[in-house]
Amino acid sequence: MNDAYLGIDIGSISTKGVIIDKDNKIITSLYIWTEGNPVKAVTKLVNKLKEQLPSNYIIKGIGTTGSARKLIGLLLDANVVKNEITSHAVGTLSLYPNVKTILEIGGQDSKIILINNGIITDYAMNTLCAAGTGSFLSSQAKRLGVDINDFSEYALKSCNPVKIAARCTVFAESDLIHKAQSGYQKEDIIAGLCKSIVLNYLNNVGKGKKIMGPIVFQGGVSKNKGVVKYFKEVLKKDIIVDQNSHLLGALGIAILSKKYQINKTYNLDINSISFETKPMECMGCSNNCEILRIYKNGKMIDAWGNRCNKVIKL
Amino acid sequence: MIGIPKSLFYYYDGKIWTNFFDYLKIDYVISPDTNKEIIEMGKSISNDEMCMSIKSYLGHVAYLSKRCKYLLIPRIENFGDNNQTCTNFLAMYDLVNNLFGNEIINYNINLNDNETLKKGLMYIGYKFGKKKSLIKKALNYALKRYNKERKKDILNNILKLKKSKKKVLIISHPYNTYDTFVGQPIIKLLKDLDIEIIYSDLFNKNSTNKLSKKLSKDLYWKYSKDIIGSIELVKKNIDGILFLSTFPCGLDSLVNELIIRKINIPYLNIIVDDLDSLSGVETRVESFVDILNQ
Repeated sequence: MNDAYLGIDIGSISTKGVIIDKDNKIITSLYIWTEGNPVKAVTKLVNKLKEQLPSNYIIKGIGTTGSARKLIGLLLDANVVKNEITSHAVGTLSLYPNVKTILEIGGQDSKIILINNGIITDYAMNTLCAAGTGSFLSSQAKRLGVDINDFSEYALKSCNPVKIAARCTVFAESDLIHKAQSGYQKEDIIAGLCKSIVLNYLNNVGKGKKIMGPIVFQGGVSKNKGVVKYFKEVLKKDIIVDQNSHLLGALGIAILSKKYQINKTYNLDINSISFETKPMECMGCSNNCEILRIYKNGKMIDAWGNRCNKVIKL
Repeated sequence: MIGIPKSLFYYYDGKIWTNFFDYLKIDYVISPDTNKEIIEMGKSISNDEMCMSIKSYLGHVAYLSKRCKYLLIPRIENFGDNNQTCTNFLAMYDLVNNLFGNEIINYNINLNDNETLKKGLMYIGYKFGKKKSLIKKALNYALKRYNKERKKDILNNILKLKKSKKKVLIISHPYNTYDTFVGQPIIKLLKDLDIEIIYSDLFNKNSTNKLSKKLSKDLYWKYSKDIIGSIELVKKNIDGILFLSTFPCGLDSLVNELIIRKINIPYLNIIVDDLDSLSGVETRVESFVDILNQ
């Protein structure tokens, strides 16, 4: 039997899973939509990964990252639960040990991580506004009646990208409608959108940061060739996009779960677990915190959301 | 009964006020720690362009206005040349006066016109019919006790610099740092991750104010100068800096840019608004601590 480690990155838009062997090589991976239900998405993901995993492997560690890391960490009894910044950096460093700058644009977050000699020296994340991220692109694609998968093709066709204000999704949208109504070609508008993402990212997240090569661009949006093209154009530097650029966060957390393994085996039998969350408004004081109680197999195992130090009765 | 909002000014001179009132046996009540109800009340009466701290302050005032006859709302203009405060500190007296029907106990601070805290408190004493000699004694008592406690806090803060744990300097106005809704949840996250907190406001203000000139000669906001000067004082002893402000603070947005350009220490900027969920903040704080622990 060979040891394997599962890393799951549960983002706002998509859920990514990879299983690696002891040499950090990806054995199998999967990318599916979260569709607003992380528990359901992870159940589907784990079942599929289990099918794909050759029978001579056994899971010795599970790590979770992404915005639903805490919840899914509980569901799967993960041995490591870590934030996205660290996971992405670890994943990328395993493939590109010389990387100096990581640009990452996901569904709702975008970040920049600066690395020197394999050590993270600085990072920045977008503020809570989702302008200039994947969810902005996909909502605009819907508006233009274009499948998001065809975005690259359209963007690369254009020679004259239109100027779109991307500071705020609302403004961008009215700008975009205006341009469409005044007769601009669809490819020019899409190219304009891609360029605006790049400019918005560099002006917000990348503000004041020294972007040095080698640069790795990852996250779901890195699959968009239009955005990659304009990053190259604006930064005047080469941009590396890994073939698994959408999986690097999951890869990173899988590596971390290997590093911190606790001599435990997982059978990935997720269907037999009943997992439920129950929200409640605490009436203990005038803060009225929204508390989420987590039930696993009918038993409450955790609860969070309280601002005070009162212990919620388990 | 005098109502004292537990927000903004309270975190600067509140202890002096309460010592003073205690000695003179003047009744006062302090509003509770900031909670959701107070924030909601504040939001409903403030203009949407005001910063979250001001909204919260007005919430505290609203809470007290139903319960007290008097409200203590100072008007703070300047601490001498090149030591101005945010215009909201100057405007607060008039703002509250227009919004609420309570009688306002106020004092002005305008060192250019020789209006000081001592003078202001003297007038308040007279207003409540106390004798001059007694008021002077009360003032002495109030300041002495305040200074003694502050000295102790400063000493504790300096002693923490010698600890072996990872240390983070919190750059923030005291009304944010110590607020149960703004600073405290974030400080708790840091402490849970085994970080020692160094407070930028717990140093000798005269020396930090002067030291701030090393970062900027042009900055003219007293409260910002007081806190950022601490960077120069402790930069060799800390592992990271967390800049905490409320949305949309004009002063802090400039000071933040200034610090980013001048320092060479891991740095995190968190801007708090009235969002309920802490998960976004958790991700940022956790990654920051990961960097410090590498």
